[in-house]
Amino acid sequence: MGEWVQVADLAELARRKRKLVMVGGEDIALFLIDGQVYALRDTCIHKQRSLSKGVVLRGRVICPGHQWAFDPATGQVDDQEQCQPTYDVLVENDKVYVGPARRLGGTGRATGGEGQYELSPSPAQP
Amino acid sequence: MIEAVATIGAGQAAAVAVRTLRRAGFEGRIEMIGDEPDRPYQRPPLSKEYLASGDDEGLFLLPEHWCEENDVRLRLGQPAVRISPADAGVELADGTLVAADAVLVATGGRPRRLPAAAGERICYLRTIADSDRLRSHLRPGARLIVVGGGFIGAEVAATARGLGCQVTVVEALAVPLLPVLGPAVGAACARLHQAHGVDLRLAESVAEVSESTAGVVVTTSSGARIEGDVLVVGIGCEPNVEVAARSGLAVGNGVIVDEHCRTSVPNVLAAGDIASHWHPLFGERMRVEHFDNASKQAAAAARCLLGRGGPYADPHWFWSDQYDVSLQYAGHASGADELVVRGSLDDLDFCAFYLRDGLIRAAFGVDRGAEVMAAKELIAGQVRVPAGVLADEDADLAELAEAALLDESLEEELA
Repeated sequence: MGEWVQVADLAELARRKRKLVMVGGEDIALFLIDGQVYALRDTCIHKQRSLSKGVVLRGRVICPGHQWAFDPATGQVDDQEQCQPTYDVLVENDKVYVGPARRLGGTGRATGGEGQYELSPSPAQP
Repeated sequence: MIEAVATIGAGQAAAVAVRTLRRAGFEGRIEMIGDEPDRPYQRPPLSKEYLASGDDEGLFLLPEHWCEENDVRLRLGQPAVRISPADAGVELADGTLVAADAVLVATGGRPRRLPAAAGERICYLRTIADSDRLRSHLRPGARLIVVGGGFIGAEVAATARGLGCQVTVVEALAVPLLPVLGPAVGAACARLHQAHGVDLRLAESVAEVSESTAGVVVTTSSGARIEGDVLVVGIGCEPNVEVAARSGLAVGNGVIVDEHCRTSVPNVLAAGDIASHWHPLFGERMRVEHFDNASKQAAAAARCLLGRGGPYADPHWFWSDQYDVSLQYAGHASGADELVVRGSLDDLDFCAFYLRDGLIRAAFGVDRGAEVMAAKELIAGQVRVPAGVLADEDADLAELAEAALLDESLEEELA
């Protein structure tokens, strides 16, 4: 995957708060948390459970397998050294795009191709 | 001001306490005293991945370089004898006095023994050495007899099936885990094992074990004869209270501590499997033999030593991976008067909620980690959720928990 790929409508994420998508053969879990869209590799680095089946509490994505808690922006795990890969996210005209870069411990800021892109603070309700 | 901390025990609780102390900026001396020869390691894989493969990746807790960088001294293979407040230290079996002005007792437990069963083919499971020894018997086609259908027995059975062994489980109760899960949910656990080809003998206890060079034979209470190549005993755990008792700490079922992990002796704390702790949320004293409690309680003990601790009131959570299924439990179901099931017990896809006076006390899920985690928050917040909502697959419990957390923080702000 070398391009931004459209993966979801923002309205759909606003309803369900999460979505499992596949880009370039990789399962990616999208989460909408406090008005921000995040993308993490779906398969947990710990024991390969699916993060999209997890739960979001206190701004953390919690894996349903062994309750590892991830910072959705950086992929960092509370109390562990490991890191879940994350993807850049772009929201434009209510469409959600996942970026080409897969990062470990990235900044997690939503960025556009050239510069910073600010997400709307509260997505349109359906 | 504390200058030197010693842990008696070098397992999960001790390791987390030490890591927490250093992360919180404690600069004094730290020594860990362990009677096992191995560096600190976690025990959950010993009945699962490590038992299956012997691969120790991720098993060890405090890497050597971390201990060096953080000036943590390990005294391994050295049993402690007693804490001596008069000498300000811990006395070891070889006569050494380890100076310390604060001590964490994290001595854990040991497997309860089956009377008159101790030969070559009889295994217990607590340590790396135990797991290695059991693995050496688990060749494809080997006949394994498991005594006890609790979590350890169930995990060993599942791992052994995965390795191609024939497995018979002898469980004294009518269904596995009856006191914890109740009859209906316990029966679902029984079906999980039967569906994976385990010969489950319920309501049968062990009358006699005889061992020969050819194998081991169990005679059950009903007179049935079960032949096997190896027998593993998983009938519970006894707390290692000896050091605490010799040191004059109050002991009962474990070392008695309050909600701040404090024992009856000043500057001596206890955490993990050994700690019989007062739980402010459940209003009971309890001793919990699970990984997450060892970690969280030890962190709470470390913060208490530094004078920064609040009470330890985590609702408790544990998991058990069996076959390809994730079993999880949160809370404490004692005194529950209502069971609400979301999903299907028959299909082994459910979350069961245990309520008392309309409040969730505990939850147990099969492949329902999200619901169990949300339930844990609802238990901690003592949030009242109608039974119909708990049973409703479309009701988002995490959202309810988040809303309750928000209300709580608003109330705190207003207070």
